[in-house]
Amino acid sequence: MTLILDKKIYNDSVISKVVYWMSGDYKIVRISLDEFKEQIDLVGANGECVDSLVEEKFFQLLNDFKLRQVVADETRDIKTILYAKAFAEDEDLSEEDIHD
Amino acid sequence: MTDKEYYLLPFDFTEISGKEVLVNELGDMIISPKGTVQKIVDRSLHKDDLYKSLVANFFISEQIIPPLVEIYAERLREKKRFLESWTGLHIFVLTLRCNQNCVYCQASSQNEESNGCTMSKETMAKSVELMFRSPSDSITMEFQGGEPSLVPDLIEYGIELAEERNKEAGKEIHYVLCTNSIHLTDRMLDICKKYGVVISTSLDGPAFLHNSNRGKKDSYEKVVAGIEKGRQAVGHDKVSALMTTSVEGLNYPIEIVDEYVKLGFHSLFLRALNPYGLATHNDNWSEYTDRFIEFYKKAFEHILELNKQGTYFVEEFAAIVLRKMLTPYCTGFVDLQSPAGVINSVLIYNYDGGVYCSDESRMLAEFNDYTFRLGSVDDKYEDLVFGKKAKEIANVWANEALAGCSDCALKQYCGADPVRNYSTQGDMYGNRATSLLCRKNKAIIEYLISLIIGRHDEVMPIFRSWVS
Repeated sequence: MTLILDKKIYNDSVISKVVYWMSGDYKIVRISLDEFKEQIDLVGANGECVDSLVEEKFFQLLNDFKLRQVVADETRDIKTILYAKAFAEDEDLSEEDIHD
Repeated sequence: MTDKEYYLLPFDFTEISGKEVLVNELGDMIISPKGTVQKIVDRSLHKDDLYKSLVANFFISEQIIPPLVEIYAERLREKKRFLESWTGLHIFVLTLRCNQNCVYCQASSQNEESNGCTMSKETMAKSVELMFRSPSDSITMEFQGGEPSLVPDLIEYGIELAEERNKEAGKEIHYVLCTNSIHLTDRMLDICKKYGVVISTSLDGPAFLHNSNRGKKDSYEKVVAGIEKGRQAVGHDKVSALMTTSVEGLNYPIEIVDEYVKLGFHSLFLRALNPYGLATHNDNWSEYTDRFIEFYKKAFEHILELNKQGTYFVEEFAAIVLRKMLTPYCTGFVDLQSPAGVINSVLIYNYDGGVYCSDESRMLAEFNDYTFRLGSVDDKYEDLVFGKKAKEIANVWANEALAGCSDCALKQYCGADPVRNYSTQGDMYGNRATSLLCRKNKAIIEYLISLIIGRHDEVMPIFRSWVS
């Protein structure tokens, strides 16, 4: 199975996470075609062709990890504040810290 | 009507039973229709009950910093409270000598007559001193082997040292004897009775299965007799039993549960084989893992049925996960912690004077692999728990920072296990995509959540009774 992915839609981090999880069951090769496109070659563990369900799973994971990336990016600062408040015993954290 | 004026709070999600399961940093879970996360991210949520629930449960906030941020932080701290108490479990491997011949032995036990594999009194004394260096207010001194009941004098010596030392330290101290119950002599039981030693024994199921696993014809009868003798000596509830699911045991989920009920136990830990010691000879761990998951579900369904019929009976692994899921509290179970239980919650003093970070790591040492040897009982406490080896392990002991774990929705209910990663995958960091431990834990946690989704009214009263 060969997929051509648009790097503007799915960034390297998102693609890497999908490849990470699928590499347990499949052999996967990533080829950067140019600044905007990436090719994914995917076969079964023994080199066999895979069916369309695998492609469906690949894109499902891409979309899920893209959503996770959005949540992670939008919550990075508040997560730092929450963990600092919980464990750093720092009473001085305020809203301004988010923008630092 | 939609509301674009809200902010996301940290959470992750996964799909189970056709639903989107959202889990936040506190382990709180919201079960929602598929597509919910997309709507949350797109700010296309309607201000309905789900929206209110997401706000109330710290998944989104209408202000950039949630008004109840202090409560959030306190709850987050509570979830990691086990770190504050430092190392509580101190395992003393007294001897490798054993009077059984278990097919899955994970402790490299030696023949009962073997020499040179028993802890000296000097090592015991140094180990007790190290145990008391732990800042924990509550410590457990656990005796393991081999078969520790073969050396009752050493157990009594260790307890007496601890009692004497504790006059000054003033800690809450518990004693546990991990024994196969084959050789529980009156002398051993007198020690247990005198010092309130709790007995933890091993029973794999009905006689035919237990005897087969032990490589003996009469092990079951002796263990059952030992359990009864122990109960009479220290009290019914001070004797617990642990099973290990051998390959043969996978065929008998119902029979194993029924055996525990028959013997008057109120709980059972459905425990898979660990790939240590002789257990590594099991040649197909992937198949074993898949079969164990099915075994677990069958046994669990039977346990649910027993509870529905009025018999209070707990599956302990599920209870630990459910406690993390349904209560604000952490658990003391070292195998499902992040940061991992190694060093943080458990230290091992081996018969030969070596100090290890987990029970499994000393088992590796029997195969000449000293990767997790922190040092020896001659070393300073600080050098053991803050030393180079400890720091190396600390780099990989938090699932919040491990590839594959960090964005897993179930990480709040699971844990990091560098020792298992190393022993099964060759490095402490591990690869979750091929990890059988990940496959097993994920399957069981997803199964528990699927029960909550699909059979909520049936299972929740039972689950709540287990965690209350």
